[in-house]
Amino acid sequence: MARISLIEESQAPLAVKPFYANGDPGPIISSFAQVPEMLATAAPFIGTVFGESAVAIRLKEIVVLRASARMKCNYCVKTHTAVALGAGLSRDEVVALRCEGGDEIFSDAREKALLAWTDLMAAGAEAVSDEATAAVKEHFSEPELVELTVLAGATIMLNRYCTAMNLPASDGTLAVLERENF
Amino acid sequence: MGTVADSVSSGELGGCLWLYSNYHCNLSCRYCLTESGPRADRRLLGSERMMELAREAKALGFTSIGVGGGEPFMLKEMPELLAQLAGVLPVVVLTNGTLFRAKLLERLRPLAALPVTLQISLDAAGAEGNDRNREAGNFDVVTDVLPRLVEMGIKVRIATTGGKEGGDPALCELHRSLGIGEEDHIVRPVVRRGRAQERGMGVEGSVDTLPPELTITAEGAFWSPFSPTVLDGKVDTDMLVSRTIQPLDKPVEVMLSLVRGRPPGSDASLNIR
Repeated sequence: MARISLIEESQAPLAVKPFYANGDPGPIISSFAQVPEMLATAAPFIGTVFGESAVAIRLKEIVVLRASARMKCNYCVKTHTAVALGAGLSRDEVVALRCEGGDEIFSDAREKALLAWTDLMAAGAEAVSDEATAAVKEHFSEPELVELTVLAGATIMLNRYCTAMNLPASDGTLAVLERENF
Repeated sequence: MGTVADSVSSGELGGCLWLYSNYHCNLSCRYCLTESGPRADRRLLGSERMMELAREAKALGFTSIGVGGGEPFMLKEMPELLAQLAGVLPVVVLTNGTLFRAKLLERLRPLAALPVTLQISLDAAGAEGNDRNREAGNFDVVTDVLPRLVEMGIKVRIATTGGKEGGDPALCELHRSLGIGEEDHIVRPVVRRGRAQERGMGVEGSVDTLPPELTITAEGAFWSPFSPTVLDGKVDTDMLVSRTIQPLDKPVEVMLSLVRGRPPGSDASLNIR
């Protein structure tokens, strides 16, 4: 059970009512709604960082699910297991990203470099070496690296938020996990 | 984006900035929007912050300050605070008028020379009708204090909640006899929020029917003074504008975007102040 109140549609503050137009916006949005001016700014940011962009959604989900697993965020791992499967990642790939199987399932050099970069991002406050940066820059342009690194950072921020607030996975996510036997 | 003054002059936004000084009250009225009472969570805004907000309001182009609650005079510093606020902008304070004993009346005396109006609740021309939704003895106390205030030269307005549009002739006769003219008597509906909602009383209030008048409380900025209501001990957020209340230009910016985003023809239809 969430440790904070999730704002229901009937109590949605004025500036954030559009986020409820298509039904329950999920626990992150409905908890952020307690501070509408923050949600009004954060939601477009999250949408831009996590949504479709110049970087393939498959690469983005590799970052999000792996960072969430490293950060031990129960909500985010569950949610992005369902999202990653929907984005076309295989069951074995998802298992690996959840740190429950071997990374050898990823054979593409770009994806292997991205996994290493994500692990480094989630490892803590240690300095990132020039060598590690050079390694990932062999496979990604600077704009791509900026996007993916901001994505990893935003994921880690939300990992800590969702864990601290003990946000519950949505019914839709739980149904996918049950169907896919996760 | 234009200024508050532009929006006030065009009628998009009310010129009064409302400040909820507190939420507790010596009465527990049956229709109270904020579930106020002696044991209610006080949610104090604070005198210093109210003064800062008044100065910011003047600089931004608001034309007056409204003080409400709860019962503002539960706060012992209220007479002097009103005088200070009136040094910045004209002030109207909403009060039940039941705490004005001799000592407090003396402290109110300086307000007679200042742009301060006391808006006092009086719902009916007799004790039975008035006290039904308020509290036994309320009618006698209020009708005793009203002429005293008038005699002191303090500007007084009567607010009738739940009365018929156009007014009750007996009540009008009463307030005239107490020295208060028609122009200083307002009649407004019970808004179905707070205790009124629990009891199924009154009319629905929403952004479509409530005039936009930025209202600041300890819990955030709201659409109108009828918005930061309380149900089951929690402040309603359905008309929350922002949690940020200072600097005042932050909630003002959101409020202006909201009033300018209203569809053409939107019009506040509840005659309430």
